[in-house]
Amino acid sequence: MIGLLKSMATTMKHALDGKTFTVEYPETAPEVSPRFRGVHKFSQERCIWCRQCENVCPNDTIQIVQDDMRNGEQYNLHIGQCIYCRLCEEVCPVDAILLTQNFEFTADTKNDFVYNKEQLKNVPWYKGIDPLNSRNPDRSAWVGEGDGEIDYQ
Amino acid sequence: MSLEEQLPDTVEEGQSADELAELLGDLVIDREDHVNAPGFVIRPDTVQDALRRLRDDAGFDHLSCVTAQEYEDRYESIYHLKKYDDPTQEASVVVPADKEHPVSQSAEPVFRTADWHEREAYDLIGIDYDEHPDLRRILLPDTWQGHPLSMDYDQDRPQIVSLREHANPLQEDQRSDSDSDTMFLNIGPHHPATHGVLHVKATLDGEQVADVESDIGYLHRCEEQMCQTKTYRHQIMPYPDRWDYISAGLLNEWAYARAAEDLNDIEVPEYAQIIRTMGAELCRMAAHFLALGTFALDVYGDFTAIFMYAVRDREEVQNILEDLTGQRLMFNYFRLGGVVWDLPEPREEFFEMTRDYLDRLPEHLEEYHDLVTGNEILQMRTVDTGILPPEVAKSYGATGPVARGSGIDYDLRRDDPYGYYDELDWDVIVKDGCDNYSRLLVRMLEVEQSAKIVEQCIDLLEDWPEDERNIQSNVPRTLRPDDDKEIYRAVEGAKGELGIYMRADGTEKPARFKIRSPCFSNLQTLPEMSNGEYVPDMIAALGSLDIVLGEVDR
Amino acid sequence: MAAPLQSALLPEQIASMLGLSGVLGEIVGGLIGAFLIANIMLAMTAVAGPWAKRKITAAFTDRIAVNRIGPFGILVIIPDAVRLLSKELIVPEGVDRPSWDLAPIVLPASALLGFAVIPMGDLGPINFHLADPEAGLAIVFAFASIASVALIMAGYSSNNKYSLMGGLRAVAQNIAYEIPLIITALSVVIFAGTLQMSEIVAAQGDALVTIAGVSIPAWYAFVNPFAFVLFLVANMAEIGRNPFDIPEAPTEIVAGYQTEYSSVYFVLFYLGEFIHIFLGGAIMAVVFLGGAAAPISALSFVPGFVWFVIKMWAFFLFTQWARSALPRVRIDQLIEIGWKGMLVLSFGNLVLTAVIVGVLL
Repeated sequence: MIGLLKSMATTMKHALDGKTFTVEYPETAPEVSPRFRGVHKFSQERCIWCRQCENVCPNDTIQIVQDDMRNGEQYNLHIGQCIYCRLCEEVCPVDAILLTQNFEFTADTKNDFVYNKEQLKNVPWYKGIDPLNSRNPDRSAWVGEGDGEIDYQ
Repeated sequence: MSLEEQLPDTVEEGQSADELAELLGDLVIDREDHVNAPGFVIRPDTVQDALRRLRDDAGFDHLSCVTAQEYEDRYESIYHLKKYDDPTQEASVVVPADKEHPVSQSAEPVFRTADWHEREAYDLIGIDYDEHPDLRRILLPDTWQGHPLSMDYDQDRPQIVSLREHANPLQEDQRSDSDSDTMFLNIGPHHPATHGVLHVKATLDGEQVADVESDIGYLHRCEEQMCQTKTYRHQIMPYPDRWDYISAGLLNEWAYARAAEDLNDIEVPEYAQIIRTMGAELCRMAAHFLALGTFALDVYGDFTAIFMYAVRDREEVQNILEDLTGQRLMFNYFRLGGVVWDLPEPREEFFEMTRDYLDRLPEHLEEYHDLVTGNEILQMRTVDTGILPPEVAKSYGATGPVARGSGIDYDLRRDDPYGYYDELDWDVIVKDGCDNYSRLLVRMLEVEQSAKIVEQCIDLLEDWPEDERNIQSNVPRTLRPDDDKEIYRAVEGAKGELGIYMRADGTEKPARFKIRSPCFSNLQTLPEMSNGEYVPDMIAALGSLDIVLGEVDR
Repeated sequence: MAAPLQSALLPEQIASMLGLSGVLGEIVGGLIGAFLIANIMLAMTAVAGPWAKRKITAAFTDRIAVNRIGPFGILVIIPDAVRLLSKELIVPEGVDRPSWDLAPIVLPASALLGFAVIPMGDLGPINFHLADPEAGLAIVFAFASIASVALIMAGYSSNNKYSLMGGLRAVAQNIAYEIPLIITALSVVIFAGTLQMSEIVAAQGDALVTIAGVSIPAWYAFVNPFAFVLFLVANMAEIGRNPFDIPEAPTEIVAGYQTEYSSVYFVLFYLGEFIHIFLGGAIMAVVFLGGAAAPISALSFVPGFVWFVIKMWAFFLFTQWARSALPRVRIDQLIEIGWKGMLVLSFGNLVLTAVIVGVLL
């Protein structure tokens, strides 16, 4: 009986202290960590079309089309299929692709989530956070050759 | 055999591979050497004999995993054996089977857990297990054509098969002609208490459960096959997050990281190990909070405040993890040879935030004890219900809080140390009530231990010299382990022993990737726990198992 | 035996207001009065179901809940009503039609019928009391227990195993707890010496003790707290709230007897359950909490009807409170508590009360 009363007292304490844990979402935007990985932003000016991001992408989310001179023509990214692992940003030698903090996106159909390079360029920064500073990418992990045999792939 | 008499004395010591080979005697037709354990190749009709000898005479009482795979010239089943007393002692029993007619003797009479593992092997690979009591498909639908992980499987073949061409799988469940006292009830796959898409076929006698059978596979996402198409170095790592997606991501990542690092002989810097340990324990706390909350839903009803309080505490853990890893669930934070980032700057803020949380935690846990464990009705409901005796638990390969709630002192963090655990001061929680209450209590007390570990890690990280903060060792950009190198490694996930088996074939992708899911083995014990109990106790037992269907079905 | 402290009953007031008399007056007055009371109850349910319940649950669980439409989000009632009523009514194959259609009507009707004899106090000149038969208390229990018929009808006719189990659980539970409920109420009847509702209320009018100028009224909750607690527990089981919500038990049997109901029928069930909670609160108020009386005489300027509504809502709040913190018991434990615990205790209470009343008074 004491346990029951204790249980009820506990919930009543919560009811009376008036504190709430949930927030009113659109009005109170959540605090997003600077490391948070949201929708990608792409900069054609920086991109050198090395196709490393396309290679490393675990589930073929990135599609790059080049002409026969190896100049970039298209850069398509399916943000609905992406698993937000950030490997593309990690591998990019020139920071041409970044994952912003922006997690708010909707579309009417799945196909609308296929972003081309223009759409990717126009993805807004979230609260003006530049993710690059906060995430200080560790490029050495990508140029590392290991202690063993050198692998020039 | 004369050896049999003398061996029980040497069980505690552990046996060398040669001693084990001697024990198995003429059953061994060949020897293999896996990275983690010696492998003994035996004939497919002597499986039970060999496993029984290893279990009874050498003390290998834990059939951790059964891996099946197809080679160019043969099929193969590998039984990964361990000891509950000392999981560092391992042995692999390798059973090749004929390429044309892959028939292999079932291990089910020796280890009950082989039941589901062999069904999975049959389902995905196509090995026929002789003497298996119930060899049916387990993950794929009954109408599935072919075995998807076998070599001749045609992926383009349409799988839509109308029921007209096949026996209706529900046919036998129709009302029987005879006067039966029992009622068949489908609980799930869409039921408030099945924690996902589990389908429990229950036979009820009034309100009591006469028999239950779990039907799984609704969330099968080919995780093993997906990992087989990704590169070791980077591409596999995002996927473990998606097995047990109840915020246990870092624990899962560690399972892959540990196996892959051992396979490729990669050293992890000490500093990275501490960060890993801290992150993993934060994940464990988050996972246990959710387990507590959903268990409360099952027992209290869906308006209980406990669920929200548990989710609140979990959210706070996730905030810390978000600051650390950049994501709340699908972390992708570990890399082979370390972690991807150091602690977020400013470090003091991160330490303060985490310490703040840990300081508040005892008060919150006190609240849970008031609400949950101290509540007389809850005790009435959970004490002595859903009994899982330790012998049965061992036979089913139960691990994690389920095993520890049954008095089995088994925790890989201590028994098979990895990371930084053996340097830290913490305890393994074991309760021998064997009931729903014990399992619940184990999880709640484990949260305290995890908090203790996190606290020590933070102290260590704070004092770490600035120029020695090495988060990743130098790992080649492409990893190509030697051909035919095999490894099975496990870590202590939130739900139990999460193991990864990998076989390399000289390329940058694994030839076989097998996940030993703790939930998969734990869920098998459900009939043992709930037969004869009331329906609400079956639901409570299911809740106390804390399964995640994403990990059961993979 | 005319009601001593009360003015005329509601139907008579209406009849005299309309200038009708005789049989016609009784019928017209009765119908209009019943319509009025039923609408008050429905309005209260409308506030309780879509709004108050959300707000209360949210308070216990540290959330905000509805707050977008109207002050404190109270106008969510309107879109919620539209939403619920505009859903498709799905009639599963093989349901037992007349019974399946009747059950959602019988449940709220039985609870509403109970209010016929409840003296709900007065608001200005209006006295919210429809009828005051001499066997009032027996009638209200009789009406309230019709609800279990509705539950078994719903459970049996739905052609669903979960519904069937829910229906059977509901009946087992109602039988097990109705007896202690009524026996405990009987102990009050022994005190009051009557079954008539207005008399029971009147008997609680005096002061029990006066401490420092504040007089505690002789409500039976204070006279016999033990019976009050017994009655409270039995009442929770009777209306099927935590920890006795096993006829619905969402995590076990999905939604029990109402698994197959949707749209309007679901709304009717929902209404029925809430009115049932309020009826439970009303019975508690009349039998143990002095009916429409103010707790201290200094507050008696507040109309009695307001006090009565507050008491009903207090009980509603209590059910939600219990819901937030108490696990549900198992069916066998529930039956055991009912037959082995509550029944024995309630009879003990009855005998003790009878002896005390016989010897002392």
